[in-house]
This record gives sequence, C-alpha cells and structure tokens, in this order.
Amino acid sequence: MVRLLTATFLSPLLLALVSHADEPARHDFTTGADFSFIQTNGVDSWTDGFVGKLRYDDFSDGLTISRGFLEHRFRLADTLDTRVAIEAYDDNLGPAADFTEAFLEWRPVPRSRNRYRFKLGAFYPRVSMENVDPGWSSPYTLSSSAINSWIAEEIKTIGAELSVSRRPQSLGGRHTFVGQVAVFYANDPAGSLLAWKGWSVHDRQTRFGDKLPLPPLPQIQPGRLMERQDPFVAPFREIDNRAGYYLNGEWRIGQRFALRAMHYDNRGDPEAVEGGQYAWRTKFVHVGAQATLPLEIGLIGQWMRGSTVMGSPVDGVHLVDTEFDSLFLLLTRRFDKHRISARYDNFEVTQNDSTPEDNNPESGHTWTLAYRYSASDNVQLAAEWLSIKTHHCGWVYYGILPTHTEQQLQLSLRFQFGN
Amino acid sequence: MRLVSVATLMATVRLLTAGALIIGACAAVARASDLDVSVVDRDGKPVPNVAVYAVPLGEASGGSAATATATMNQIDVQFHPHILIVQQGTAVSFPNTDTIAHHVYSFSDPQQFDLAIYKGDLHPPVTFDRPGLVTLGCNIHDNMLGYILVVETDMFGKTNNVGQATLPLNRSGEFKVRIWSPRIRDRSDSLSRTVTLSGGRDQVLRFSLESKLRPPRDSDSGALAWSDY
Repeated sequence: MVRLLTATFLSPLLLALVSHADEPARHDFTTGADFSFIQTNGVDSWTDGFVGKLRYDDFSDGLTISRGFLEHRFRLADTLDTRVAIEAYDDNLGPAADFTEAFLEWRPVPRSRNRYRFKLGAFYPRVSMENVDPGWSSPYTLSSSAINSWIAEEIKTIGAELSVSRRPQSLGGRHTFVGQVAVFYANDPAGSLLAWKGWSVHDRQTRFGDKLPLPPLPQIQPGRLMERQDPFVAPFREIDNRAGYYLNGEWRIGQRFALRAMHYDNRGDPEAVEGGQYAWRTKFVHVGAQATLPLEIGLIGQWMRGSTVMGSPVDGVHLVDTEFDSLFLLLTRRFDKHRISARYDNFEVTQNDSTPEDNNPESGHTWTLAYRYSASDNVQLAAEWLSIKTHHCGWVYYGILPTHTEQQLQLSLRFQFGN
Repeated sequence: MRLVSVATLMATVRLLTAGALIIGACAAVARASDLDVSVVDRDGKPVPNVAVYAVPLGEASGGSAATATATMNQIDVQFHPHILIVQQGTAVSFPNTDTIAHHVYSFSDPQQFDLAIYKGDLHPPVTFDRPGLVTLGCNIHDNMLGYILVVETDMFGKTNNVGQATLPLNRSGEFKVRIWSPRIRDRSDSLSRTVTLSGGRDQVLRFSLESKLRPPRDSDSGALAWSDY
C-alpha cells in the first residue's frame, strides 16, 4: 500500500519542484487516489479468477484504496507533448503501479481550416464518452459501462493515429467534423476475456504488465482442446505480426451534441498462438452520442456490436466463435457541486461454435445510480450503487446457477491535485 | 512588480472610462450626431452581438488613424469577447486569465499568427494591419473559437441586447454600412448599404434579415464533459 501511494504521489511532486515558476510549466500533471468503502453481494470476482462481473467480492469488501492514478504531460516543444498515464492497484494482477497509456502527441499549429493531430505510442481509441476526466476517470459514475469496462480491460491502440478535424465557417463555426485513422500492433489476445468471461462493469484499467486471470475454463486445462492457453490473458501482446486498424468519424455541434462512429478490426490471425496467448480476430462497430437535453440534462448513449473468434475454422466456424453486443444510456444532471447520474446497460454474447464444455453465451443488464459531490478541486465524494443481472450458460461448469444478480455499493473519497 | 503594474493599469482604465463618460456627456450636450443601426431577424426580433461598421467612400474618407489598443481575453477556456471589432492598425493583446495554458492561433488570410503556449501576458500585442475577418482558435482547446473583425474605419460598434448599435457620426459623406455575425446566413450583398451621412443630424438604419439565424454559440452548460479531439 505504501508502495502504491509513493508511486502515485511522489513522482509528480518531484516534477513540480523542478519545473520553473514563471513560464507555463512544461510539466502538467494530475494525480489522485480513491479511498473506498465497498459492500458487494455477488459471485466471486473475475479479478480473482472466477466469473463475477464486479471488480470486488467478499474477499475485498470493506475499506480499500481502490485506485491511485497519475496523468502527466511533458511539453517537448510548443506542439509536441509526451503523455503518460499510470494506474496503481493493490490486486496483484501486475506491478503495483504501471502504465495504461504512453504516447507522443504532435499538434501542429493549423495553417488552414484542417487541423491535424498525430499520436504515436499506446493509447485508448476514441470509444468511451464516459471516461473524459484525468486518469480516464468518469465524471458521472465510479464504474464504467460494460462497453467501456471492456475497452479498459482489453483494448489499446499500440501504434499510430492520425486525426483531422474541420470547423467549416459556412456553418457558422458551430459544427466540427473529425476523422481518425489508426494502425496498430500488439493487441492480438483482445477478445479472450469478452468471449470467456463475458462483459463486466467496473473501474479497473489494464496496465501494460497486467495478467488478467481467466475463469477455470474446462477446455484450457492440460490435455484439453485449448491447453496452450495460459490461465491468464495478457491482452497487449503481438502474436501474428499483422497490423490492425480502425476508422472513426465524429460530428459535433458546439458543446451540445456529439455523434461518433467507429469501425475497428484487429485483423488478428485466429490460428496464431504464442507464449500461452492466442491471437483473436476481434472486430466491432461502435456508435456513440451525447447531447445536452432540455432542463440541462445530459444524455450519453453508446452501442457496440462485434465478433471475436479463435482457433481453426471448420465449415467457416472457429473453435471459439462469438458475437457480442452492448448498449448503455446514461442520464446525468449537475446541480452546482453536486451531480446525479443513472445508467442502464444491456449486454449480450452469443455463440456460433458448438465446441463442447465451452459455453459462452450470456445476456444481462445493469442499473447504476451515482451521486458525486465536488467539495473542492482537490476533494470529491462519490456514492454508487449498481445491480447486474446475468444469465450465463457456462456458469454451471463452475457449480453456480446460470442466473445471478450481483450488487455493489461503493462510497468513495477522492483526493486529487495537479498543476 | 506585476501586481503594481496591473493595479496601475486598472487605475488608468478607470480614469479613462471616467474621462470617456465626461466627454460623452459633453458631446451629448453639444449634440453630436449618431448613426443608429438596428438589426432584426425575420420575425422582427432584435439580434444582439452583430458587428456594425461604416466604411467611408471617396470624399468621406479621413477620420482618425487607429491609435487604440484592444484586448481579446481568454476566460474559462473561451475567447472574450467572442467577437472583437478593431480598426485596421490596432494592436490587440491576448491575455490568458485562465489558470491553464493556451496556444492562440489564426490561419485567416488577413493575419496568420500563433502565440505559443502561455499564461498571463507573456506575448506582446499583435497589430492587425489588414482588413478582414480573423478567426481565432486554441491549439490545445479545440472548442475555443473567437473572431477579430478588422475594419477600415473608426466608425464601428456591436448591437446591444435590443439589437441596436450607435456609431458616433464624426464626419459627412458617403459610407458603406455593413453588418456581420457568424449567426447570419443572409447573402452578403444584403448585409451592406451605401448611405450618405451628414453630421449634425441623427440617422437611423435598419437591417431586416431574411434567413433564419444560426443558433448562438453554446456556452458549456456543465451537464456533460466534452473531451478535445
């Protein structure tokens, strides 16, 4: 725990001391930690190698430091930054503190109506509309939706992204159009957890060095069909030496409306396997929108549908051949320093293969209610209650009923500071 | 040191404002004439924040050269004012009052420039020598948008909440009176009028817009967070 706090707080303090006082700092950072009280009622968590949808379970109830984070930007030149994000967790799935993002960003000064941005390194693709605060936090809830929890678990762009935006004067400067194209490597095992564990709802982001435990799947045991799979997933490995890509488009009207759509394909070779990890062919389309409604109510909706497959195909069907689908709607309203938010998630995994003892279909929904109070720039209080009802066909292998409702109450005190 | 200079500046501004008020009062007594321009939308409702300026034609030219300075502030990650009108030759300062740094730029033809990342008053003022519309952005905060309209006259103003602008009429002759706002969709030739103005007599001009206005630029309601892109 001491290690965790040291890692989170000490480095930015040192940086703040060395930065010059007169000019705008070359270093910009935000760092913080969430001190939480957690009460769960559910199945043992996926983070403990079981199938529970939550990050916590009976083993972790009570008081805990749920996360420490640091987001840091260093200005190499006026238009060139290095940016890193570090998360610290106390769950032994990786080092105490490790990177979630690390990239170079070049923002040349526009010389025309087109604005170009270039990223090189490891970063999140532009899917989440919830996780927009420092440290990929959400200003609305403590946990992310099922869609964005999965992005946090398994998806990272490790490559390059070019972004072009344009704000036509012919539309009065209110509309902005953004297009992005990215090419990436090293995200081949992505899809393993979604197929084998299913969707989850939590606030944990996978760091570069993390190994995420799989449930005790019958078919990955020694002597079985997929015995070459380690009992964990390391989602950011390169296995097949094939590049993936995504295309994203966004349309914005001032700060009232945004619509985005993405086509994502990791172009994984489903027959490649190396070092205990399979490459999965994972594709999805994503559509997200956010709008300010009358009465200053904010609405966010995201929808995702895709497929992930692994193993040799027989008659066009792979050994593990699944499709996934999720949608959430979030309503939020701010009252000065207070904010209340409500979210409904629906999620589903369907299966095309008939591999025995590997039943992955599931369906479920989640209700989340959250209240946040910003006492100051440095102190935030949050309370969140969520309830997930899941029906998962494969749970009978683990001796539990295929239908469960899991609930979690989290009270959280965040201390955050930056320059 | 900086505090002192800011205080001095504030005092000077107050003094100048008071002076301007006194001069204004005297002028009212002396009954100098005005050009009153009103702008209404197609429903007859007043349109605020429309730039109005009268460019002298031929014999009416002259008028004072630009000596004034102007300020385009950055407050709460937005440009203030959203639209600034200045006479050609005016030096505009760009103080950043936010606690976060900005990188102000423009790619517009009349004046391409950028003020590399800064807080406070780091950069000297920029002089706008060529007439036209200068669109401002921030290279860090994509949603920031501001306009500087550089005009070839010292007779300019902006409509108030009741859609009226009063330009002091300091000479006689023929003028082209123009209006501009990013919200207006009407054809540009309907946004200017050639009028003959003579000192000593108030004149009234009314622009009735035909096309529906674009909505005003949204202020962030705070209901949602908006990431940069």
